[in-house]
Formats: sequence, structure tokens, C-alpha cells
Amino acid sequence: MDTQALWLTLKLAVVTTLLLLCAAIPLSHWLVFGKARWKGIIEAVATLPLLLPPTVLGFYLLVLLGPRTAPGRLLIHLVGHPVAFSFSGLVIGSMIYSLPFAVQPITSGFSSVAPEVLDAAVLLGASRLRILIDVLLPLARRSIFTAAVLCFTHTVGEFGVVLMIGGDIPGVTRTLSIAMYDQVQDFRYSQANHTAIFLLTVSLLALILVYGRRKQFGRA
Amino acid sequence: MYRLLVLSLIAPLASAQSLRLAAAADLQPVLPPIVAEFESQTHIHVDASYQSSATLATQIQNGAPFDLFMAADLSFPQRVISESLADSLQPIPYARGTLVLWVRNDSPLHQLSVDTLRDTALRTLAIANAEHAPYGRAAEASLKSLGLYDQLKPKFVVAENIAQTAQYVDSGNAQAGLISLTSALSERLRANGHYFVMPRDSYPPILQGAVVLKNSSHRTQAHQFLDFLMSPKVQQELAARGLEPTNGSGPRD
Repeated sequence: MDTQALWLTLKLAVVTTLLLLCAAIPLSHWLVFGKARWKGIIEAVATLPLLLPPTVLGFYLLVLLGPRTAPGRLLIHLVGHPVAFSFSGLVIGSMIYSLPFAVQPITSGFSSVAPEVLDAAVLLGASRLRILIDVLLPLARRSIFTAAVLCFTHTVGEFGVVLMIGGDIPGVTRTLSIAMYDQVQDFRYSQANHTAIFLLTVSLLALILVYGRRKQFGRA
Repeated sequence: MYRLLVLSLIAPLASAQSLRLAAAADLQPVLPPIVAEFESQTHIHVDASYQSSATLATQIQNGAPFDLFMAADLSFPQRVISESLADSLQPIPYARGTLVLWVRNDSPLHQLSVDTLRDTALRTLAIANAEHAPYGRAAEASLKSLGLYDQLKPKFVVAENIAQTAQYVDSGNAQAGLISLTSALSERLRANGHYFVMPRDSYPPILQGAVVLKNSSHRTQAHQFLDFLMSPKVQQELAARGLEPTNGSGPRD
């Protein structure tokens, strides 16, 4: 297997998952407990990447991050190189693409916390931040774990967005799924097979982990 | 574990020092040994990305950090030049491609000729996307000039680039394919099938051009690679692998 692509994929998945959890936890908190009237719109936008073809996302990211538009040129000026076709571009794309996989489980985790528990915390004078850290996060830890596993796996298996905003640059944007596409095109079927088995195993293990944990929690 | 972590941190640095090649898909079966030779001679590491010429040109226009663009025609490098992204005003022709009809050895289509394309037993023909791949454009032009285009069009299985076209036929997903001689001469395809060179006067010559990109931080190395490619020894090697020199005489038929 292409070890360079393997490490790049793992690095991308770890970075994306960590950043996405940092973004999705406050967003989910706001979606569940916030009071704005247009919350529904934000929720719809946050779920959009689930339904959108990756090509649509890839296209707009390419336009926004590349040198052909004003925001893209500003970014290039700030960063010093085009963000499209770089690792940071892939991280941005992956974060947007996997956003629903983080927001969905976490919002449902937050929603399922009993209101009495939250009321008690409020009555005891806890601040919103304290409630989030000491009550919500521990109670929703199963959902957060699920979100992390899904984000990680979804990023490992990403293809369309990476191909469009990353191309196929070895060591920079050639992730395992792209390397596999390349291997098939170049008749390296046994290598493609190894990559495929690896990707299959990762996905299956992730799902076993999610469902296995769920059962454990269910019994407890 | 720490070693792996360190490695993954160093990896981007290492690739930052390498020459990034945007190479047309017909070069995929040809270039790796030539790149290896160049690497061992110069100690310059080369990373190649093989896709259709159109895809690569679009990526370059959108800021992809390549150093050298080796297309399968002159029009895509020209497009990069017209956007002032190249360091020259003309693409450098480095080779001439050849279009062939290829079938697997287990195919019922035996004696390959232009007539094979008229055979009613032929139900699917793999061809590269004419808008993205110069070989696809050549294939369409050839079928048109042979008066076969309209009758064959419903049988087309269109691939994204010429390497994928070869993969479609080799995997048995299409009965025959109009592919590059470079693919047909690869070890795998030589073992699995045989080819017929399409009449050279049936399509405009596939002149392949290269440009060094203006924003490249390795322009010297990129030119060094191009010079290496144009050296008589490597040109000979290319010819043996299906890419003729451009400076020679006309068609060889």
C-alpha cells in the first residue's frame, strides 16, 4: 500500500476530526439551546453537505480558495500560497463535508439530556459554560464519540471533494482513496485490492465500534 | 510511534523539495522508469500526477502547485500560457503520440484492421473523453474521417482519460478501445491483447507539448528534466515505448 498516502489520510482524518469537534460542539449547543428564530436555516445549512454532491462542494471551494476570485486571492495573499491543492485546503473541504456527521449525533445527544437535570444545574447557579462542560459533555459522551468516529471514517473515505480541490499530488493531496483510483487506472489491481481491503476494514471497524459501544451503554 | 509521527511531520517538507510533474495520462505507462533514471542521475526527487490534459490545465489555472506540465497536445499548454502561468511563450513539443485500436486476446475480434470497427460483433468501444483528453479528440477525428463516427457513437464507452480508457478494455468492460500506443506497449497490455495502429492520416498528429510554470520554485530543475527528456538517449527510449520524437521526419507509415 502507498504508505505516504496512508499517513496523509490519517493525518487529514485526525486534524479534521479534532477541529470539527471543536466547531461542532458549540454549534450543536446553540442549535439545541439557542433561541434565534432562523435556527432552522442554520440547521439546514449544516446538514446540506450530507445531501449535496461532493462535486458541488468541490466546485465552490475551488472557486473560493483558488486564485480566480477575490476571496481566493485575498487568502493567497494572507497564506502565501493557494489554499486549493494544499493540505489546509483539504482540511477545510473535509470539515465542511463531514460537518453533518458531527452535528447530527451531538445535537441528538444534547437533546436527549433530561431537562430536569439541566434545570437542577441552573437552579444550583451553574453558568452555561459550566453546564456544557460538567453536565452536557459527560452525558452526551457517547454521541460525541460517535461523532468523532463517523467524522474520522467519513474523512478517510472521502473522494470527490479531495479530487476536485486537491487533485492528485503525491504527499500533499493524494489520499488513500485517490491513490486507489490511480492504482486501478494504472492496472495495479493487487495494490488497489490492498488499499480497498484496508478502507473496508477501517469503515467496518468504525461501525462495530459505534454499535458495540452503543450496546454497552444500553446495558449499563 | 514517535518515529512515525516525526516521519509524517517531515513528509511535507520532503515533498516540498521535489519536482512536481503534471503529466498527461498517456505518460503513465512510460514515465516512471525515465523519472527513476533522472532521479538517480540528479538526486532531484520527482512526484508525478497523471490525469487528462484538460483536468491538469484546469488544476493549474486554479492554483495547483505544479512545476512542469506535460500535456498530450499543444492546446492545453497554450491555455496555460495564455493565462500567463507559463515561463515561455510557446509549448515545447517533446513527443508525438500514436492512436491504436486494442482488443484483449480472448476477444472474438481477431484480425484487427479498420474493418474491425465495422464488425457487427463489436458492441462497445472505449474511447477517451474528447473534451478532456487529446487522444479522445484524435479518436473522434479518426472515426469521423473514416466515416465511422455516426454508426459507432452509440457503442462508445467514454473514459475520463486515456489511461482509464485502456483500463476499461483490459478489464473487459469494453470489447475494444481506441487507446494510446504507450498503453498498448505496456507490459500488461502486451501480455493481454494486441493492437492495430490507426491510419496516421485519419487524425491530426498528436503533438505533445510541455511548459514550465511561472510560479514554480523549481524552474531550473524543471528545465533540467525537460532537457533530460529531449536528450537523444531518452527520446530513443520514449520511441520504444510509443512516443515518437517530434523533430524527426513526417509520419512513419
